[in-house]
Amino acid sequence: MITRLSPIAAYREGLRRVTGAPWMWLGAWLATLLVAVPAAMVVREMIADHLGASLVAERVAAGVDVDWWQEFRAQASGLGATFVPAIVGGAAVLKNLSDLADNARMETAAAGLVAVWLLVWSFFAGGVLDRYARGRAMRAAEFFAACGTHAGRLLRLGALAFLAYYVLFAHVYGWLFGQGLYATWTRDTTVERRAFVAHLLFQVVFFALVALVNLLVDYARVRLVVEDRRSAVFALVSAARFVRRHATGTVALYLLNTAGFLVLATLYAFAAPGAGRTGWTLWITALVGQAYVAARLGVKLGFYASQVAYFQGALAHAGYAAAALPEWPESPAVEAARGEPDPTPPSPS
Amino acid sequence: MVKPGIRRVLASALAVTAWYGLSTMPRAQPAGAAAPAPAAAREAVAPATVVRSPRNANYSIDASLDPRTRTISGRGVITWRNVTSHDASELRLHLYWNAFKNTRSTFLQERLRAASPADRRALLTRPLDDFGHTTISAVRLVGAGAAPPVDLTSGVHAIQPDDGNADDETLVRVPLPAPVGPGQTVNVEVEWTARVPRTFARTGVVGNYYFVGQWFPKVAVLGERGWISHQFHASTEFFSDFGVYDVRLRVPSGWVVGATGLAQPPRENGDGTTTHRFLQEDVHDFAWTTSPDYVVREERFEHAGLPPVDMRLLLQPEHASQADRYFAATGAALRYYGEWFGAYPYGHITVIDPAWQSGTGGMEYPTLFTGGTRWLSPRTTSQPEGVTIHEAGHQFWYGMVATNEFEHAWMDEGFNSFSTSRALDELMPVRFHSERFFGGFLPWVIDDITQPRATDGNGWPRYRRDAKSDIPSTPSWRYWPGTSASITYSKTALWLHTLERMLGWQTLQRVLSTYFERYAFHHPSPEQFFAVANEVSGQDLTWFFDEVVGSADVFDYGVDRLTSARRTVRGIVDRDGKKVAVGAEPLGDVYETQVVARRYGEAIFPVDLLVRFEDGSEQRVRWDGRDRWRLFTFERQAQAISAEVDPDRVLLLDTNFTNNSRTLAPQGRAAATKWSLRWMVWLQDLLLTYGFFA
Repeated sequence: MITRLSPIAAYREGLRRVTGAPWMWLGAWLATLLVAVPAAMVVREMIADHLGASLVAERVAAGVDVDWWQEFRAQASGLGATFVPAIVGGAAVLKNLSDLADNARMETAAAGLVAVWLLVWSFFAGGVLDRYARGRAMRAAEFFAACGTHAGRLLRLGALAFLAYYVLFAHVYGWLFGQGLYATWTRDTTVERRAFVAHLLFQVVFFALVALVNLLVDYARVRLVVEDRRSAVFALVSAARFVRRHATGTVALYLLNTAGFLVLATLYAFAAPGAGRTGWTLWITALVGQAYVAARLGVKLGFYASQVAYFQGALAHAGYAAAALPEWPESPAVEAARGEPDPTPPSPS
Repeated sequence: MVKPGIRRVLASALAVTAWYGLSTMPRAQPAGAAAPAPAAAREAVAPATVVRSPRNANYSIDASLDPRTRTISGRGVITWRNVTSHDASELRLHLYWNAFKNTRSTFLQERLRAASPADRRALLTRPLDDFGHTTISAVRLVGAGAAPPVDLTSGVHAIQPDDGNADDETLVRVPLPAPVGPGQTVNVEVEWTARVPRTFARTGVVGNYYFVGQWFPKVAVLGERGWISHQFHASTEFFSDFGVYDVRLRVPSGWVVGATGLAQPPRENGDGTTTHRFLQEDVHDFAWTTSPDYVVREERFEHAGLPPVDMRLLLQPEHASQADRYFAATGAALRYYGEWFGAYPYGHITVIDPAWQSGTGGMEYPTLFTGGTRWLSPRTTSQPEGVTIHEAGHQFWYGMVATNEFEHAWMDEGFNSFSTSRALDELMPVRFHSERFFGGFLPWVIDDITQPRATDGNGWPRYRRDAKSDIPSTPSWRYWPGTSASITYSKTALWLHTLERMLGWQTLQRVLSTYFERYAFHHPSPEQFFAVANEVSGQDLTWFFDEVVGSADVFDYGVDRLTSARRTVRGIVDRDGKKVAVGAEPLGDVYETQVVARRYGEAIFPVDLLVRFEDGSEQRVRWDGRDRWRLFTFERQAQAISAEVDPDRVLLLDTNFTNNSRTLAPQGRAAATKWSLRWMVWLQDLLLTYGFFA
């Protein structure tokens, strides 16, 4: 038994749990590859087809040929349309964050991949949280069983979260930005710096709301898994109760995790390799990129693990998980071979 | 009876008119040869040493700005001389701000027609407070001496020669009681009030920042074939005659004013307002700006062989640290345009750094222009340098050569875009691509991506996209508004750069400087430029101008096939008098290389074909580019490794450079692997960014 955790202690405990489960981390990274590699292969074919046997390819391989890039972009569609200069180096990170912050419209093909990723991650989230909650090693079968056990609930929670985010991004954002308050406030502003500060303040307000929803959903997710709850609605209600009672701690922990992410993103933005060349440097550059992706996943997992740790600590039930360790269901044939009874009733003949 | 105020305006106008000998003085004649000027005018106006232009449209204006009501009240006398060989029975006046009166104006209708759904929505939901207009309250014909003025107000009515849109009031006709004969002069007094719009088309107000262009009733140009007068259109700018401007602007005291011309000492009116007076000869327009927030900096441009120019920079306080960049860019334009085309003669120039979101950046007026920059603007990017050079450069093509922008907008914007990219390259040989994030406030320089002059500087991507949208020789006001810039700016810049690569810079520079020298202050036509180009280059370039100006056809040459293998024969051959069957037998130690070059586009241009061989040798052949395809065969000891049409990239209008070459050792896969891996990291980051929600 441990005493109630401070946000910093929970953060550390989260990091400990993440680093203590390297296979989980590796699995999460492989999951990103599962979604990203096929898409990258599609883009690779598009680029290769466009370059063909042209001499331009030599320049494109050796660095950047901006004219070729413009030609490519002019004819690209689908995922190809997302192959833009901002993917180079640190701009890639900034572009994604900026697009999120500015509520920018996403290319349909990329939005599809994001949707797939959110579904994949929602499925794995149950297993991940279960693993961090138990704080001990799991076999793959146990992990997937946990994923399966919690998947439905987490998807229901995800649907509720989607509604909340939809309201925020489709409506509240418009009230604040677009033709909304920000535009009204800055209509006669002739000083960019003032507009920037106003923009920043409005974004802080908006993302405070987003973060609040995110925080509630995070703890609802934790409660669904740790307490083996079925109802996403009641999990959200109880998460809200928990966050209200531990407002300082939950918010501080959230900010700590966010700060960790911002530090990482900033470091990468400045250290990210540029266009590079082909040959061995290509693979070094690729490794650096993947190291960043892995670190970002570590931050994401750290969010989960530290929130689980904080929740468990707050309830003075470290390592508590209400549900029995789930088992991957065997097929009826295997059960029959083991001499276990077939749970399905005999059908009438 | 002339009111005392009017009498003062009139006296001033007549003084200026007389001073410059408007009705009699030939071009470039010393001012001293003019008729004697009244004493009042002599006191106010510094004597001009050279009369550069016909000076047949002259303005003496008194205007007052009331910021509380956003209203300008103006009264002016237009002294207009008929420089044609036939009578003029009417005058035509442009009232450009009526384009912003409501959404039924031709300008806004054209804007709406070409706008994206979002832009259309934004235009249609602009606050009513944004709109502006000009209303003429009186027009009088004033004669010399004590003759009473003739009121022409009742005859003033809007006309719509271009589209018949009865709701458009940007052009009015003023019938005259008697025709103005060739060489005769009339003085027309106009009183008007104008509501300053929230910026449309780079003129208007935001907060307490005013940029006031196209703001006064302006006489149209009368040509030999009648009035060259058009309504205000979305895709074009303006055209006017040269003259002398004497303008007095009354604004709140303490507000900084910048304007066309040379500032005279301001006069405090004792009622919280100050009158600022500006005088300028040999210009065809007048614009001004005022704001209490400007920071004023001054610097002198000096360069051997060119006349000095006093540069006055009106800066937004948050851009104070970029003053040196503005001065350097303005100086670069004055220097390089001066060296390449002809000297800037006015001795002073005012650079306006526009206020944020004013929408007035990047606009040219005689001896004054607006640049544009951002609060954060990295030094390795070309903001404000690019726009500053461009607008300063307009002083030469728009300001002095002064072509008809209604009908041949490409002659100004295109020539200037070409010149801008060339001068920018001299000032900043390396410029990097940058992206702006987080509402566009934060810049990020991608120093892997440079911006080449030939393509990026000339607007190649824009041209490629819209290459077929309009034929350049079409009157510019009839271009499709959504794509007009691609033709006006980009296509022209690209063909001029192509011409530079065809003829060599020295020849093209002589073409342009001859054209400038011959036609500055003369409103030349396209044909006059073409004639100069043919004359100076010593070549008949008509075929080229027919392709690039007289047609919307695109250029696209490419290498369709490249094979290179040992010469072999298979089948039956004659050997020692017998028919012998052979299977792929080598025919000596020779490689046979075959290249099929193709013309994919409709337009024709002679191109080189360059074939490189494994032993390092090269062979270059010329193709007239006329046929749809042409087979080139080479026999060498070495195998070919690549073939490329237009290897020196002379033809910058080629819409597809990637298909210009083929190699037998393609690198496409390796390049694609590199970039797809880089893209994949971006995608993974995207997934994790939006994974925030799960």
